[in-house]
Amino acid sequence: MITHELIERIEGEAVLDFQTDKSGAVQDAAIRFLHFRGMEAILEGRNALDALVITPRVCGICGHSHLIATVKMIEDAYRNAGVAIRISDKATAIRQITLSCELIQNHIKWLYLVMLHESGKMMGEEPTVALKALYVSSQVNQLCALFSGQWPHSSYALPGGVSCDPTHIEVMQALKILSDVERFIEDEVLGCTPEVFEQAMRDNEVLSLSGDFGTVLRNFERLKVLDTGKSHGRFLVLGDKSVAMANGIRNSADFALVSEDDSQTFEHGGKTYAKNALYNGEFYEGGPLARALVQERTGITDLYRTYGDSAIIRLSARVAEMVSLCAQVRQLLTSLDLSQPSFIPPPAIESISAEGIGIIEAPRGSLIHRATIEKGKIVSYSIITPTQWNLGNGTASNLGIAQKAMIGAESIAKASLIFRTFDVCSVCTTH
Amino acid sequence: MPSNPAKLRVIWLQGITCNGNTHSFLNDPSLGTLLDSVEFLHHPLLPCTFTLQQLVKKLPKSDILIFEGAYSASFERAGMAMESLLMTLALKTKHIISMGSCASFGGIFKENDPEHISGIVFDKENDSGPLRDMRKKVITLSGCPAHPKWLSFTIDMIRFDKPIAVDEYRRPKELYAYLVHNGCLRNEYFEWKVDSEHFGTKEGCLFYAQGCQGPFTHGSCNKILWNEVSSKTRSGTPCVGCTEPTFPKRELFTTKTYMSIPSEMPIGIPKRSYLALAGAAKSFHIKRLEERLIDDHT
Repeated sequence: MITHELIERIEGEAVLDFQTDKSGAVQDAAIRFLHFRGMEAILEGRNALDALVITPRVCGICGHSHLIATVKMIEDAYRNAGVAIRISDKATAIRQITLSCELIQNHIKWLYLVMLHESGKMMGEEPTVALKALYVSSQVNQLCALFSGQWPHSSYALPGGVSCDPTHIEVMQALKILSDVERFIEDEVLGCTPEVFEQAMRDNEVLSLSGDFGTVLRNFERLKVLDTGKSHGRFLVLGDKSVAMANGIRNSADFALVSEDDSQTFEHGGKTYAKNALYNGEFYEGGPLARALVQERTGITDLYRTYGDSAIIRLSARVAEMVSLCAQVRQLLTSLDLSQPSFIPPPAIESISAEGIGIIEAPRGSLIHRATIEKGKIVSYSIITPTQWNLGNGTASNLGIAQKAMIGAESIAKASLIFRTFDVCSVCTTH
Repeated sequence: MPSNPAKLRVIWLQGITCNGNTHSFLNDPSLGTLLDSVEFLHHPLLPCTFTLQQLVKKLPKSDILIFEGAYSASFERAGMAMESLLMTLALKTKHIISMGSCASFGGIFKENDPEHISGIVFDKENDSGPLRDMRKKVITLSGCPAHPKWLSFTIDMIRFDKPIAVDEYRRPKELYAYLVHNGCLRNEYFEWKVDSEHFGTKEGCLFYAQGCQGPFTHGSCNKILWNEVSSKTRSGTPCVGCTEPTFPKRELFTTKTYMSIPSEMPIGIPKRSYLALAGAAKSFHIKRLEERLIDDHT
């Protein structure tokens, strides 16, 4: 039997086409995204700096990631044009702080608005508004705005640095907010300290954690989906250190092996607007799990050895990343050298003709912006979003990451829940 | 205070969007209090009475319809084209809030298909959108995104049945009579025509070289601060004019000048008056404004 399931309460919507057997188990699943906005075409012909305003509007929840990818792309174009461009350590640190804030608020919203909500609903609970989670997300965004001016849709990062010139007052305010966020994660999300959390991952005892994360895991266990959702076990991180991991072996990744495949799109007789992103011709998973595994972070690496790439580890990796990002933001805030320049003016963009590539790690994985610039104007612009890696629609012999994870689920509802563990974003996928 | 009226039934519907207004709305630190006064019949992310699929089947009556995103007649949600979905829900609601610049004027997404994409009442400056005949019940909250407090203010005014004074684009005057320039920390540099040498400093005005549109953009960004703490100009970023029907203009980080005078004047200021004052201001050297605001950070 074939069922078309509209998946709501993600960023936008997706349609899943399920083929089920008599028992209702999922034998095949296709992922479709039906909305398209043409962001790349909007950018063509514009001044390259305008992209700093346009690209954040690709996505309401990860627009800041797009800003940082754009600015890195333009800076790369400067360098490729043979023009030196310098960024102070301070500006680099501030960019990392605001980018990390976006990841933290994203992960909190996903845990509460999506996973706790949906798994609770399947347990027969009446969902309520996760006000405490939304409040703390708004605080994380406030921390970001102390530097970026606003969240969402800031344009404060420019080739050469950042536009803000913070004082100790902003840094102190940021540290106070960060303490509140850390307390929320300890008291509400985990129900224990980060150290106890890490030990629980190493000892395979995350199910007994008392916080809301533990509740999600226990919901998954009762639904018998905790160790389902296995995919290819291939992981890719391109943003920080480029690493591809397959069959448990880590290799440095080569950007030249990245390709886009549009064979499933409407343009070519398919049923979706989303293009697939491939590495070496194959689907690779990106995001918090990939980042933790390629960095061999304790806790997640231990859990992976036990469970493989199943639901429990995707859930754990996103939560573990919240914890590690808070520690990273604290370290960056306390070591900021405010006497350094925020911005070192580069030569005018009109003097630049070159190609540029900007790759960063966004909430859902590696985000790639690539453009050709001619005398400061954008000739062509291409964006590969993280969800194109994870939510690609493959063929029977080459299944996409989430597609493979859903096949074999006992029911459509369970397959849909597995789908959501990938932190689905429709607006980014099609842009 | 008036007595507590019943909860308003609100539908949040999305057109062609990035979800930016949804996430801006979720930043409201008083969200809990707001939710005491509204019941979401549908919302894309919050728990609500109807899923999108149910919404499209039932097409319920509501007190407020919030529309986020640009309009295109053929754009579908849950299989129903906006042409009928938006129109039906609009006819069955008492108030409509146009949330953000895409819903209000077409915004960024209009750029991809200018012929077919518009706002719900306005298409850029023209009142040729599909809900033009219902404009009397529309409140425009332009901005990319709109500020969460602008929305909660509008909902409160509707809830307590207070009249909202609006401008030509049906934007509440209490929010949009201000210019983004009002309350900018760099106002004194503007007065004395001291421009910012480059980005990343606390000093100087961004109007003369960096493309700041604050003096001719309506919005209370420097009165009702973003995320409670800042704004574009307070973080040294030029205003990009995101609340206006002209958004997005081009060359957003450069001031267009004519004879080295900004070619666009602060709203309502005749060029002659501007030139007279600018000439006088520039003839003085104010030492304090030419120095660093704070010597160092040590």
